[in-house]
Amino acid sequence: MNLTKDQGRLLEEGTPAQRKAMEILLALGEIGGAESLVPITSAHVSGASYKLIGDAGLEFIEDFAAGTRVAVPTTVNPLGTDLAQWRELGIPEAFAEKQARIARAYEAMGTRTIFSCTPYEQGVRPGLGEHVAWAESNATCFANSVLGARTNREGGPSALAAAIVGATPDFGLHRDEGRQPTILVDVDADPSGIGFDLLGLFLGERAGDGLPYVRGFRASEADLKWFGAALASAGSCGMFHLEGVTPEWRRARTKRLPTVRVTADDLEATRKEYTDGQDADLIALGSPQLSSDELRAIAGLLDRAHPRIPVWVFTSRAVREANPDAVAAVERAGGRVLADTCLEVTLLEHRFTTVATPSGKGAYYLPSLCRQKVILDDIRVILERYA
Amino acid sequence: MRLPARRIAPGRAEGPALVSPSPFSFVGGADPATGEVLDEASGCRGERIAGRVFAFPHGKGSTVGSYVVYGLAKRGVGPAALVNERAEGIVAVGAILAGVPMVDGVDVRGFLPGDRAIVDADAGAIDLPDVRAVPVVSVFLRNRGRLLLVQRGDRVGSFPGRWSAVSGYLERDEDPRDRAVQEVREETGIRDTRFRAAGRPVVARDGPTAYVVHPFLFDVPSRRLQLDWENVTHRWIRSSEIDGFDTVPRLRDVMTSALHGQ
Repeated sequence: MNLTKDQGRLLEEGTPAQRKAMEILLALGEIGGAESLVPITSAHVSGASYKLIGDAGLEFIEDFAAGTRVAVPTTVNPLGTDLAQWRELGIPEAFAEKQARIARAYEAMGTRTIFSCTPYEQGVRPGLGEHVAWAESNATCFANSVLGARTNREGGPSALAAAIVGATPDFGLHRDEGRQPTILVDVDADPSGIGFDLLGLFLGERAGDGLPYVRGFRASEADLKWFGAALASAGSCGMFHLEGVTPEWRRARTKRLPTVRVTADDLEATRKEYTDGQDADLIALGSPQLSSDELRAIAGLLDRAHPRIPVWVFTSRAVREANPDAVAAVERAGGRVLADTCLEVTLLEHRFTTVATPSGKGAYYLPSLCRQKVILDDIRVILERYA
Repeated sequence: MRLPARRIAPGRAEGPALVSPSPFSFVGGADPATGEVLDEASGCRGERIAGRVFAFPHGKGSTVGSYVVYGLAKRGVGPAALVNERAEGIVAVGAILAGVPMVDGVDVRGFLPGDRAIVDADAGAIDLPDVRAVPVVSVFLRNRGRLLLVQRGDRVGSFPGRWSAVSGYLERDEDPRDRAVQEVREETGIRDTRFRAAGRPVVARDGPTAYVVHPFLFDVPSRRLQLDWENVTHRWIRSSEIDGFDTVPRLRDVMTSALHGQ
């Protein structure tokens, strides 16, 4: 690969962490067929939940953090627990302590510890054509599809390596060619609410690691957040185009693509396919974390309905602090608003067996990551059922 | 034997080979404390990764696998080196974090468990000093969609009675394609061949011998042929029928390589 003088110097004379970071980028560039590294304006790193990365990850982050600082603005994905409320959640003390060590290690590297999977709702909004290195599948999908920024689906260490170097290998979704669709999707339904999650799950299973070009409906940015999160979970899609809506749909070439048609029946069948639970003992909202608007909307619903089982609402620390009234309303209804963490990366399995949720991403991961059965449905239906 | 390879993570290391014919996930596939292999499908469950040159087609599974490779190396129970057919990000990143040399572009079934292997990622090569490489050509003749298989007689030096493509030893410095044309002439009497493809070499092991098979696909205008002493009978088969024959080692892979080389 062709390196700039500065990049070459990092590889030869950098700190141990800088050299490792360069080696990671070179290897991934070699595998992906990149000819050079492209400078990035931000990074988002995953691999912060102790539940997921365990002692091996903790050890690595602590070793790596010593004497390392990121070179570009870098945000961090959710942790395995709310750092302030872990006792109330029944999180074991040893878990909370190791989780706090991971958080401190990231902080020591100079990252912005938002512990959020929605950096795009936390003021990090790269523009059209801007190169970034984001891990976290929903964030990657949102950045590429909705913002028109450019990032591959990074893993925790590769995003961290890019953050330290300030550049990422130039291949895949960084290139015009890599942003062309591989599958055409005609949606013969008018999705709303949970319909966007269902559509994402349905298409993810069919698109695999392809890039869907979707047409047939309009959607807001918030709708696309839920669609993309489900799509990027059930498939390994890093991007989609939505005709007439997303910023790069006009550049997409759609001739001679294999075509999938989706009907309202397919969406309902998908809901049933992901529902294997009978009786929920937890209602969960979030995954991805809720925005301020979404938190206030849920608070409004809960104000009128006090469900008989616990409600956990996942959001970021910033959104929680900006909305004390909504938090109070959720708590009056017997619920909790949790920050720093998210649905499937926190510990649920020690307390619950079946989760009712409107999140497609949650429904996808809860069985494997939290050993939960799932009831996937619209939040209004769920609240009515558990009133 | 020396195999060319592509450097993924720098360094040079040696150790006895550990081989999994199926893709491997370090999360769940190996005990993070001891490096014991837990994955049943690997065919080496219960073996220790420590100090071994671990060869498998490619990584799979959770991205946490990178940290597991790091943790194994830190505890002194990590692999000496990693060898893949086609590297992907999880294992590649793990190797770099752990400081374990890694290469790819290698047919991992050319290794037998326990082979002494020296991986030199910086030089882009793997040496198997106790393995003797025997280069051969293997030619699939095709006519109207069917491929020629021949059954080896009792007088041949290797694999008597097995089914094979037209094949022969490659002399030192000889061009494999020239040798392929000549073998077809000798074994079948066919002179009118049209070269279609040369596939990626496949390594077929027979104890300490490694046949480095150069696959070829030739089209021929007719199915008429005259076998020489080496083979006793022949069949024109569909590619899907190959599993029904008792063949020389890895003939199916050689065929796939020849057909994909087009």
